Amino acid sequence: MTFLASPARWLARLASPVAAVSGLALALLAAVVPASPTAHVTERAPGPDSAPVRRVEPGQLLGSLGAAPGGESGRVIGANDLARLLDATKFWRADTRKLELRVHAHRVVLNADNPYVVIDESTVKLPSPVLSFGGELQAPVALIDSLPSDSTINRLAWDPRAGVVVVVPPGGVVGAPRVTVQDGVTRLTIPTDHVEDVAVVARARAHFRLRFAGYFAGELPDSIRVGLLRGLRTLPAVTGSALELELSSDAQSYRLLREPKRVVLEISRVASNSWDSFAPELPPGPRALRVIVLDPGHGGSDPGVVFAGAVEKTLALDLARRLRAEIEHRLHARVVMTRDDDRAVPGQARAEIANRAHADVVLSLHFDGLIQSRAAGASAYVPTADVGSAAGQLGGVGPGAITLLPWRDVAARHAVASRALAEAVLSSFELRGMGPTRLRERLPYPLLGVNAPGMLLECATLTSPADRARLGPAGLDALARAIVDGLEAYQRNL
Amino acid sequence: MKRVMVGALIVAVLAFAAWRAWMPERSPAPAPAGPDTTATGLKAARLFFAAPEGDSLVSESRDLPEAGTLHDRVATLIAELGRGPRGAAVATLPSGTSMVHVFLDDRGLMTLDLSRAFVTGLHGGSNAEYFAIASLVRTLSANIPEVKRVLIVSGGEPIATLGGHLPLDQPLDVQDWP
Repeated sequence: MTFLASPARWLARLASPVAAVSGLALALLAAVVPASPTAHVTERAPGPDSAPVRRVEPGQLLGSLGAAPGGESGRVIGANDLARLLDATKFWRADTRKLELRVHAHRVVLNADNPYVVIDESTVKLPSPVLSFGGELQAPVALIDSLPSDSTINRLAWDPRAGVVVVVPPGGVVGAPRVTVQDGVTRLTIPTDHVEDVAVVARARAHFRLRFAGYFAGELPDSIRVGLLRGLRTLPAVTGSALELELSSDAQSYRLLREPKRVVLEISRVASNSWDSFAPELPPGPRALRVIVLDPGHGGSDPGVVFAGAVEKTLALDLARRLRAEIEHRLHARVVMTRDDDRAVPGQARAEIANRAHADVVLSLHFDGLIQSRAAGASAYVPTADVGSAAGQLGGVGPGAITLLPWRDVAARHAVASRALAEAVLSSFELRGMGPTRLRERLPYPLLGVNAPGMLLECATLTSPADRARLGPAGLDALARAIVDGLEAYQRNL
Repeated sequence: MKRVMVGALIVAVLAFAAWRAWMPERSPAPAPAGPDTTATGLKAARLFFAAPEGDSLVSESRDLPEAGTLHDRVATLIAELGRGPRGAAVATLPSGTSMVHVFLDDRGLMTLDLSRAFVTGLHGGSNAEYFAIASLVRTLSANIPEVKRVLIVSGGEPIATLGGHLPLDQPLDVQDWP
């Protein structure tokens, strides 16, 4: 009865050996040419979203797909990377070996081993087939030229300089700067699509930074010393791009002019009320170090990092006491401690102690930790030089007339000196083999409301066995000497 | 003779067919989940973790089911961050961190309310604190481009600082975490 009632099932059972054989064949094929799994590649986090472009050599092709490498130059981009850059949703059809990428109303259909790609309602022939290689479909990079170009889909560009395909930010593209000098004014002319989005984000002469919404596609010379310009380099940026300029100490003021399709940064040797000012800097020459405030981190119920028997609050206090003795001995400066025993001191109270002491320098002493990492060495956190010398002064120079700075951020007025202090101390650490060192420009919590140059100094990393091993009494003495070496270099200000 | 052979062949085929049809059905081996995702869309998400050397962020691309609402998208992203990296990187979020609420205004300010575990679960120094914040901010901005600034709160309450190293009392500009 069953036999008669279900002929389809019966036929299917008859056919199952054939299906099993063909299934095995497909499985073998899949093993040779995997369908389209996601590659879990860990990449250093660049700024704008980008994806590497691979160069496929004929010898790298698995099996005999009978296909040439993608494009004339063999450059291909992985389908997973392409989907990520387009912010597309992927739909994989294993039976037809098609991968459909959907972005809003747009769809792009890639066919494995086929040069024809369906883009919306049209079919485009690529210079070479889409390949199944390296665990995913690989499309010739020429595909990005055929993608739709409207506001609902990310615009992609091939950057041969970096060897990547990038998502062109809404800010468009930034070109190479041109430098000229005229009448004592140094001018950088920088082509860019959206001039309104260009911003000065750091005003220190040694680290003057411009941020652009667009992607920097220009090239910079290896070295440049023209007029007041001493150096020029690109910086990582979250989106868009950033340029950092090193300017002569003779530079006194600047202004940013927004013109159609370009910005012009003018830098002058003359201070002017109608131009912007650089971040405040002390005059060249030795710096005063009469009062040094030491702030041992954590304390009381807050132990800080606790790892393998090492307790941050205890080490920080121990180091501060040794450092106090070293400073008094070598620098003859007055040392004020925010705590001299195991107690919790609120952040605001620490700032008040430093301000009442009229500190010339504030050092917030800490020990770092990052579990399950190879992190080691020291880090310093300093405020960013994002305010000009007019900040906090009524009627100061600059076109803004009055620039008010919240007291919380008052340490930003000392950003240039703070960075110099951090560089001096970290250099001393490096010379004594206490690195690697890292400098992060980010206003640290212990410097909120502190009206003095300073830094949060992570003197070593407690989760690093090597660092932990050198933090005995002799090691802490060595740390104290290294810090005072740095303070001396900061004081000399050569 | 020829008729006999044809008859025997027919009988053999019918016998084989009957045997196939009447044999007790064996439960077929479960087929592996195929990569056919015609019904469910997958979207590549870019997740940020700490580099093993603790000196920078690194990113990983991961396919996640497409989420319909902002709440679901952010909750999924934070859950994936909490699962940690699959490659050579270091997990950044304090253990047990989850999203409670999220709100995104029309100027790109995201207010992100995280569970108390985000505040109580941090074990590390400024580096751990830096990467916990940086990985959150970068992951959110990379996958939700409308996000320009992020204000992190916990249990509906503002957070002054996570571990005493970096202030969290004000919104964080995503551009400041390269």
